[in-house]
Amino acid sequence: MNHRLALLALAALIPASLAGQSIDERLGARVPQGTAALVRELAASAAARGLPADPIVQKAIEGSVKAVPADRVAGALREVLAQLALSAAALRGAGMDPPDTIVVAAGAFAINAGLDASQVTELAGAGPETGAAVTLRVAGTLAALGVPAADVVRLVATALAAGQAPADLLALPAQVQAAVARGETPAQAAVGLARAAAASGRRGPPPTRPTPPPRPQRP
Amino acid sequence: MRHEGRGFHPDVKRLLDGELRGGLDALAPALREDAQEALRLLAEVDRTAPVVSDALEARVMAAVRAKRGRRREMVVRLRPWMLVPALAAAAMLVLLVGRVLQAPTAQAPAVASLTVRFVLVAPDAQRVSVAGTFNQWDPSATPLVRTAEAGVWAATLTLPAGEHQYAFVVDGDQWVADPAAPAVPDGFGGGRRNSVLTL
Repeated sequence: MNHRLALLALAALIPASLAGQSIDERLGARVPQGTAALVRELAASAAARGLPADPIVQKAIEGSVKAVPADRVAGALREVLAQLALSAAALRGAGMDPPDTIVVAAGAFAINAGLDASQVTELAGAGPETGAAVTLRVAGTLAALGVPAADVVRLVATALAAGQAPADLLALPAQVQAAVARGETPAQAAVGLARAAAASGRRGPPPTRPTPPPRPQRP
Repeated sequence: MRHEGRGFHPDVKRLLDGELRGGLDALAPALREDAQEALRLLAEVDRTAPVVSDALEARVMAAVRAKRGRRREMVVRLRPWMLVPALAAAAMLVLLVGRVLQAPTAQAPAVASLTVRFVLVAPDAQRVSVAGTFNQWDPSATPLVRTAEAGVWAATLTLPAGEHQYAFVVDGDQWVADPAAPAVPDGFGGGRRNSVLTL
């Protein structure tokens, strides 16, 4: 047997095996018993409501590694669950029912960064549903940079309306950071970028970036 | 101040490497325009999915098939201490191959993973690491190493596309947000924040 192929196959299995670990296996000895019990309870509640449990597990591990007192970890875990539930409700408001757990987690991140539920609903419905997770992650990242939530929504919605794909939005945080490095406030940067996006939408796509031909499908 | 035929000024390259303390403001005014252009180009490259032509892919796959047909003896003695780096190297290879061969589509994000360089200026630190959602918040999993520039620590990781939260851990117990990155509250109170990386 080719040993290199065996190693490659084994390595390829690692992420899958990690993903398949039970909550107890992931928490291991890193999380105190009381916190672990709360994680199991909240994760079961999340699963019953179609919410992802991974952010709860991650937050428990983070709190324990940071040596945060158990009562504050418990409060943070409940807050994570509440944000996930709020995100899911907001996404249902955008017509996603049931919403994908990845999009729910992205919406919860945006809420934690400063957006409210109605803004999550608006952004989730502003672009293609397949790009909702990226859209919400970018929105949360812009808010985390200090862009006011209303300006975040305006910028992202304008960019999508101008024809940008959700993946194109990933460049926005770096563009805001560059503008801030030049002396603008995050709000000014977002307003300027929204204005530029609206103008490019009126002009149409730039001629230097032609749409590539579709790739042939392989069986 | 582009060096004709030789690329960007060394200070601009240091900025791109995250090794220039103070960012753009630390550059000589004459270099800033070039630096902004370099940052713009870098962002463009980072966001451009690698496209492999069908002809190239066919040639690569033909070469792979030809290789597979050859019989070659190889003896591998596995010792426990060899397994970890071997698996890491193999996993890295899987990631790289996956990235190159993935066909971009209109619906899905085109890039499955990206290489990211973490940099922290901590002149008084004895050791620095980065912990986050990508390594189960394990402070021992990803140490940063001292760079040639005094006080600058760095590590390069390949991370999957998505949103990651992290913080630097200085001397084992000080949690420090990345001053160059956006941040959100970590949820535990006390004003501590996690840095955010969205790929």
